Parts: sequence; structure tokens; C-alpha cells
Amino acid sequence: MSSPREFFSEFWASKTSKAGMLFLIIVVSFSLYTVATFPLDYGTRYWNNPKYWADNPKLAMPQWTNFFLGNSFLEHKIISMSAPQKMYPSGAYYVKSYEASFDLNADQFPTFLTLKLESVSFFSSKAPAIVLLVTRPDNRTIELSRITVEPPLFTEEPPYVRYVDEPRRVLVSGDPRLSITLSDFLLNAYNLSLEPGQVADIGYEKVIFGELCESTFKPLKGRYLFTVLLYARDARDQIGKATIVIGGQVYGFMGTDILGRDLAQGLLFGFPVALLIGFATSVLSTLIGAVLGIVSGYVGGRLDDVIQRICDIMNNMPQLPLLIFLVFIFGNKLWIIVAVLVIFGWPSLAIVVRSMVLQAKSSSFIEAAISLGAPKWWIMVRHIFPQVAPFILAQMIFFTPAAILSEAALSFLGLGDPSIPTWGQILEQGFHSGAVFLGHWWWVLPPGLLIVFSAVTFVLIALGLEPVVNPRLRRWR
Amino acid sequence: MGLGRKLAFKAISLVIVLVAVLFLTVIIIGATGISDKILNGMVQEALRAMRQELAREIKDPEALNRALEKIREDLIKSYGLDRPWYARMPDMIWRIVTLDLGVSRSVTSFSGSNKISDIILERFPNTIFLMVTVLMINFVVSLFVGVRAATRPGSFLDRSISLYSSISYALPTWWLGMLMILVFAFYLRLFPYGGMYSTPPPTDPLMRGLDLAWHLCLPVLTLVIATSGSWIYITRSIVITTAQEDFVTVARAKGLPERLVLWRYVIRAAAPPILTNLMLGLAAYLGGAILTEAVFSWPGMGLLYFEAIMSVDEALILALTYIYTLIYVIIRFVLEVLYIIVDPRVRYT
Amino acid sequence: MALLEVRGLKLYYKTVRGPIKAVDDVDFSVEKGETLGLVGESGCGKSSVAISIIRLLPRNVEVYEGRIFFDGIDLMQLSEEDFRRKIRWKRISMVFQGAMNSLNPVLKVGFQVAEPLVVHQNMDKEEAVRRAKELFKLVGLPPDFVERYPHELSGGMKQRVVIAMALALNPEMVILDEPTSALDVSIQAQIMNLLKSLKRELGLSMIFITHDIALASDICDKIGVMYAGQIVELSSIENVLLSPKHPYTQKLIASVPLLRGDRVPEFIPGAPPDLVDPPPGCRFHPRCPHSDGMRCVKDVPPMVGVEGDHFVRCWLYSGGLK
Repeated sequence: MSSPREFFSEFWASKTSKAGMLFLIIVVSFSLYTVATFPLDYGTRYWNNPKYWADNPKLAMPQWTNFFLGNSFLEHKIISMSAPQKMYPSGAYYVKSYEASFDLNADQFPTFLTLKLESVSFFSSKAPAIVLLVTRPDNRTIELSRITVEPPLFTEEPPYVRYVDEPRRVLVSGDPRLSITLSDFLLNAYNLSLEPGQVADIGYEKVIFGELCESTFKPLKGRYLFTVLLYARDARDQIGKATIVIGGQVYGFMGTDILGRDLAQGLLFGFPVALLIGFATSVLSTLIGAVLGIVSGYVGGRLDDVIQRICDIMNNMPQLPLLIFLVFIFGNKLWIIVAVLVIFGWPSLAIVVRSMVLQAKSSSFIEAAISLGAPKWWIMVRHIFPQVAPFILAQMIFFTPAAILSEAALSFLGLGDPSIPTWGQILEQGFHSGAVFLGHWWWVLPPGLLIVFSAVTFVLIALGLEPVVNPRLRRWR
Repeated sequence: MGLGRKLAFKAISLVIVLVAVLFLTVIIIGATGISDKILNGMVQEALRAMRQELAREIKDPEALNRALEKIREDLIKSYGLDRPWYARMPDMIWRIVTLDLGVSRSVTSFSGSNKISDIILERFPNTIFLMVTVLMINFVVSLFVGVRAATRPGSFLDRSISLYSSISYALPTWWLGMLMILVFAFYLRLFPYGGMYSTPPPTDPLMRGLDLAWHLCLPVLTLVIATSGSWIYITRSIVITTAQEDFVTVARAKGLPERLVLWRYVIRAAAPPILTNLMLGLAAYLGGAILTEAVFSWPGMGLLYFEAIMSVDEALILALTYIYTLIYVIIRFVLEVLYIIVDPRVRYT
Repeated sequence: MALLEVRGLKLYYKTVRGPIKAVDDVDFSVEKGETLGLVGESGCGKSSVAISIIRLLPRNVEVYEGRIFFDGIDLMQLSEEDFRRKIRWKRISMVFQGAMNSLNPVLKVGFQVAEPLVVHQNMDKEEAVRRAKELFKLVGLPPDFVERYPHELSGGMKQRVVIAMALALNPEMVILDEPTSALDVSIQAQIMNLLKSLKRELGLSMIFITHDIALASDICDKIGVMYAGQIVELSSIENVLLSPKHPYTQKLIASVPLLRGDRVPEFIPGAPPDLVDPPPGCRFHPRCPHSDGMRCVKDVPPMVGVEGDHFVRCWLYSGGLK
């Protein structure tokens, strides 16, 4: 039995081990980061909660595609304003002005425009009005929306609050009244006379964010200033948070899926889950397989026969159909999936360990130990186990990617645990939303690549461990 | 004489597997109450059919209902729904063994039948066709590439094989399928998105065959890439080990030409362990086939599995699990027979 | 003219540490009908001489030179294909060390014996198998064993099959590399008797390689003692056994235990030399009691003839030391 130092130097010698350890460090770092920054119930609280993602664009590509494709896509922007820039009285009103600016640099129009209002509070019985204005780079201003806050019911007491539990979303670019405003605007700005209906056909975004060139609208690049004006009766009235959402085609580090979920978050969450599943399954099945293998090999007799029969039968079964059946029947909770994988995992290890133990059993120092009167369990723990330990370790590492891949396959078939986003599940949702057939490559490629990456990590480490564990394969110096 | 006994033993142990799976699945669905659901479904189905028939004869709705009620009671007795699930086990097992698999809730066969055995019978050849094609390609590829790599150890080909094998082990088959569709169907528009024939399928037999071949390309390519890695690697390793055996040197000493030595002494002697490894990889191969069908909407049993899970059709899932186990056991048996043919050392106990 | 004449044979293997000089300037000849024994410790190069003659070189050969004349033909000049078709197994065949593994486990033994006949002489299969049955009879095996597989035969039987296989094409010379070392003593005796009777009946020329000098004395006419890749003594069996000249041979003979008598077997001190970096001068000098510390250490002694056909490679006899 070589010493631990020999063990490590032999392991470190090959390039595969070094690569494997590097990959492992990457995977573990991402996992630690995720565990530290994400809440444990992220799956149910955020990921599966559509409201959380309501402001995001759907099926947006990652931001960096702009870098490769020459800035032609518009970045989705979410701009919030909480404090008013200006306050001034105007007639009977106090006006609070909330401002935000937005630069349009792309060759595309925004896909939509939304105003989201949260926590509006007012003190007078006359509810305030809110107006949204935009000042374009060509210094023209358009009034986009006029919103009346719901007046107080007579059961309410001041201060009256609105939009706390549910924000109020106004789809500015879906407002029919806007067509009239825009029709006037076009007449003033370009001397173009269009019916409101025709403006609606062209699309509001093209008018709001575009300039007329020949007979088509081209995006007007430059700085746009959005102003939200609160016409209040009481100086204490205020808007808690006003958010402008400008619909773009790209968003985020990894893009979004059909529900607008930021894929970067989902993918990140997949790291610790993959590690957990991989390790839990491999450690448990290795434990059970090793213990049963050692006991079966050393104790022999009836117990050995029984265990062997069980292993034989289980090795002759087709894995995936039975996995499907068991998870289907017993439920797709994460721990059930792990349990089922473990049930199928231990027999192959037990058989090999048993034959190794049978070989070791006949060696002379075991005989010596027996003649010294050592009890069976002592011999198994102190003499047999150290001999098979390196092999068991290598098998454990080697089994991890199989577990990760099996869980991913189950998720793809729809048998994953829906409360926890895993890479397999992201792919399953993508497949069912037709991401593959519609070319949403950012939804299809990254999760799969991550699965491959984490599996390869363990394969490399296992390959690096092989010469240490199996002296016949050692490199001759 | 010894040969027959050996085969019999193998067959028996495989049958035990089948029986064990059968028992296990029946017990599980019984204990979780799902078998009640399935049988109830079958009763409903039978009643529905009966209602239609009887309605033609018995016009009085009261009498019709009474007659149906009586039939329902008879059915419940015959299906054993009035007894606890463990008392029903022998019947259930017998039913499955004789392939009376009941009725599907959600899927119908192309000919309109509800019976699961009809549905499976329709899809079965498609799955076999896919699997056999991939098997043959894998066999040929791994033989040639694996042997070539083994005769040139340390060469570029050899090292690429090792790399390719590790990657293909870590590659999920179904994701590879998705990539294939993305690249070859969506971007390059070279191949169809899935399915077995175009809609509508061509009538001319030659065109029909070509259409089938065209649809076959991507699924086969996916499965081959995903599974050939380990086949090639195993062939290569075993051939390398065998080539170092003494009897190979002796064969050369006998003045035999190198080709003959390669085929009759190296490959032929390497066949038994290669076959053993094949048997070990069979389960994974089967799983891969199921997933590939799901991705490419290939109308075989794998897709059926997929659909059954989506629509929570328990009877179908139970039937498919059994059928797949049956297929697996049969293929294993065939391989075992092949092994005995190929390795004379195991023919006598 | 001798049937086989080897002059200046060299075979070096490539290794990470440098070339292994397995065969380093070896000369010998074998007459028709004669049996030459090559005797020496493990690793002294005897098997390498064998594979040099039948040209079954591994991949990592660095040097392969010298002259090997067989029936007047210079074997080293032949192309691989010519050698395979004209010489290998047809005129020179070999029985390898370890018959256990010399047979293909998935083919019937009769077929393996008949195979060279089919391949080299274009015989059709039934004819070849009939000939194989004859060969089986010749080596003392029942003819219907041709239907058996190797795992159905005992060690001794397998050895006989391998010998039958070597005789299939009626070669003029057979090289036998430790043909009995894997067998137990009683079987060993049977095989040796077989070989002796074959030698008589067929007039075979043989090269018999072994580490057991007593075994060699049973069958060989001539003996070459090898040490560290070189032949250090070469003469008739009587000369070598009864009046060994080289110190190594003397020690070798002295180390064989006698059935009768009380002599204590001696041993040779030291270890066999490293063939990558053999000792300079005479390779035996570190273990030789007669080493003079000067010439023995510096110069390689040439092979010289003493009393006619008794050849020794030692400074004791090459004029100088005494």
C-alpha cells in the first residue's frame, strides 16, 4: 500500500488529473457562490414564479451577442426611479418630476414600452394623476400616457396607498389613445397625415422611437429622456417606485427563456444541485456497494449467495425503463430520484469489490490475523478495507457523472423535481417550448454544455486516478 | 450436451429477471393503488363498448342501465376489483405475461384502437428498425476504427479515440440530438426536424424509402456518436491486450500473412471479451434509444413512453416497462448465445 | 558447409534508459542433424538470439545486424515477404517458451497444426487435417485430439501439440525456447524423450535454449554458454561438461546439485549485469575469481579456439594472463 504522498504524486503526474482538478475547482467555486447568494427556496419562490420575471423580455438573447453581431440588437432596459428630481407647484397642483434617460444605439426598435408604478401614496381625497412624457433626441416631446390613480373609497383613511401588493403595469405601447397622440405628433413633426388606425398598424414603437426617412421609419438614435410627472394635490403625495421597461431583444448574461426568466440565474443554480445529486448518489451507492461487497466476499455462505443473486438480477435489468417507472410511481422529488439511482447503482460495485475481497481473503496476512483471534468485523475494517479503498474511491468518482447524466435524462423526460431548477429541466422546458425548432440557441447550448462540463470533470479525475489505483497501468519512470 | 445445459441456465436466470421485474412492478402499482385506477379504466372502457352495442337492442333506458349495472358487477368481479390488490396479483401477472395489456387512456394507435397491445405492436417495428441500424453501424465502425487504433498505439488516431470516448461518455444523448436538430435542421436546413416520414408520405416506394432514409439520418447519427465512443474504446483496448498474447506471436512465427493473423488470431480471440462488454453496455444503449426517439419524435416505443409520462397514463407506462424489459432480456439472451458460439472455453461446465 | 552459420549477430532494443544490448556479437554454427544448446541465466540473451534467427522482432529494435547464413542464403538480406514465404516455418520453425499460451484459445488444435499447410502449401483443409493427425501420432497424441480446443488439454499435451505444429511443414531446423520449463518433472522427461526420438527419426537440426545445463546435456551435441549477450564458451557437450574452460561455465556446472555424492553446490556471487550499461571489457569480470583487474576490465576478450573445436572468450586463454 503506497503512502498518501506517493498516492498524490502519482495522481498529479498526468495532465488529465490536472485538468480534472482545475475543472472541479471551477465547478465547486460556482456552487459555493450560488449557495452563498441564492436563497434555498429559490426554485419555488423565484424561478417558478412568473410575476418575478414579468419585466423581463421573453426569449431574449444574451447581451454579448451584440458584441459579435455588431450592436444591432437592442438591449432590454429596466429603469427605475424612486426619488423625484424636481418639485414645483403648478396651479392647483404640486408637480413631482421623476426623470430617467435611455440611450438608443441599436438598429432595432424596442418591442414594447411599459410603465410600472409601485407604492403610490396620496393624502388628499382627490387622487393624483400621473403623466408619462418622453423627450426625444430631436428635442420633441410626446405625452405617452395619462394615468388616473383610483380615488379613495370612503372606508379608507389617509394616507391612501395604492399598488403595494400588486404593481400597476401600463402597457404604454398598447394604449389605443396613444394612436391619436401620435397621429398629431406625426403631423407636427413630419407633416405626415395618418389616421390613428394607420398609426396603430405601423406600430407605436416605430413612431415614438423613430424618425421618418423617405417613407419608412428608422430608429432614431440618441438620448431619450423619460419624465414621470405626479400631479398631486398634497405635497406629501409620492410615487414609491416608477419603472420604465423598454423591450429589447437582448438581456442578461445568458439571455431569457419563454417566461422571461434570466437563464444566468437558473444555470448558476444548477451547479450546486448537480454536485449534490452527483455526490449524494455516488457516495451512497458506493457505501452500500462496498459494504455489501466486503461482507458478501468475506463472510461468504448463505449471505453471499443471497447478495450475489440480487446483484445478478439487478445487473440484468434495463435501467432507464425501470428508472422511469419508479420515479413515475413514487413521485419526482429530488430525494426519491437520488434513492432510485442509488438502488440501481450499488450492485455493479458490490460484485467487483466482492471478487477483490475474495482474492485478498486468501492472502497470508489475513490468515495470520485470523489465527491471532481477530474478530471478523475487525479484519474486514482494518485489513480488507484498506486494500479495496483506492478502487472504491476511484469508482465513486467515476460514478458521479453517471448520476448527473441520469438525473438530467429523467428531467428531460419530465420526471425531474419541478421545485428545483436543474440544467436538465431547463433543457426540458426549452425543448417543449420549441427552442430547438425555433433556433433559440442560448437556451439549448449552455445548459447542455454545463452538463457535459461537469461530467467531464469527474471523468478526467477518475482517469487520473486509474493508474494510482491499478498499478499495472502506472507510467514507468 | 453441456452446451444445451449452459444455455438453459442462462435462459432461466434471464427469465428470473423478467419475472422479478414483473413481480416488482405489479406489487408496486398494487400497493400504491394505481392498479385499481388502471383496472377501473379498463372496466369503464368495456362498459362503454357494451353500452353502444346493447343500446341497439335494448331501447328502454331503464332496462339498459340495469343490464349495464349487471355487466359492471360481473366485470368488477372478473377483474378482481372487489378484492384487495394482493389477491389480484396472479391474475394481473398472467394478464401481462399473455400480453393482455389493457387500454390506454390517452393514446390511440394509428388504426384507431385503444388497446395497448395494438399501439405497442404498431410502434415496435419502428424502434427495432432504428436500434438495429445503429447497432450495425456501431459494430462496423468500432471494428474498423478500434482495430486500426489498436494496431497503431500512441498514434494520433489512437489518442483522438481516447479523447472522443471520454467526451462521448459525458455527452447526454438527448442533448446531442437537440444540437443536431438545431444545427442541421434549423440552421443548415439539410435534414427534417423529426418524425419518420414527411407529411404526407410519398406514395412511390422508392421515394418512400429515400424519405425514410432521409429522416433516419439525424437520429442515427446522434445515437452513433453518443454510443460509439465506448464501443470503439473497448474494442481498441481489448484488441491491444489480445495482440500482445503469445499465440499471436506464434501465429506470425508460423509464417501466416499479417492480415490473417489480425483477423483469425487477434480479432477472433478478442471477440468474447468484446461481446461481454457489449452486454454490459446494452442497458445504456436501450436508454439512449428511448431518449433519442423522444427528441426526434420518432414514432417508436420510446416516444410512446414520453407521451405516456406527459399524460400520466399508468397502464401504458406499466406495459411499456414490461415490454422493454422483455426486449432487453431477449437481446441479452441472444448475446449470451453468441458468446457461447464465439468462445469455446465456456461450452462445458 | 554448416546448415546455419551466424556471424557477428547483434540485437539491441530501444528503451527509455538507452539501448539494451541483448545480443552483442554472437557467432556459432549448426551442422545438419546437429543439436546446439544455448545455455545461460535468464536475461542473458538466448531468447533474443532465437527471435533474431526467425526474425520476429518487436517494435523497439534499435540495432539488428550481422550475417545469418542458412543453407548458403543470407537471411538478413531477404525481404520480409520473402522470408515469410520461403523460410519461416517452412525451413526454420520454433517452439516458444510457455506452450500454455502458444495456442489460440478459440480455434481447434488440429486446425492450428494444419493451418501452415493450408497457407503455405495450398493444401485443402481435409488433407491438411489428415496430415495433422499423422503429426499427432508422431508426437504421441491420439489423432482424434485434432477436434479438441486448447483448454481441453493438459500442459504436457499442449506442448506436444506445439511441437507437432512446429513440424508441420517438415522444416530442416527447429528452435526450441525452454520447451519444458513450464512443465512438471515427469512430463518434462516425456517431452525430452519425444524430442530425442524425433531427432533420431527425422534427422532434425535443433537449437535448444534452456537455463538448465543438465537438461541440455540430455539432448544436445554442442553447447554454447551465453553470458550477458555474448557466447563465452562453445564446444561439444563432452568438452564443456567435462573440461569447462570459462570461469562462468565452471561455476555453472559446479552449481548443479548431484544426485549422488556429497558435494555442496556452489553459487555464483554477484548479480547478472545490466544490459544497458554492461561492464567494460570482459562482462563477467565483476564476478570472476580470475580477473586480473587490468586487461579483463578494459578489453573485451576475443573468441579463441583451444584444442581445436573448443572455443572460449576469456583472457586466460587468449595469450596474456599466464
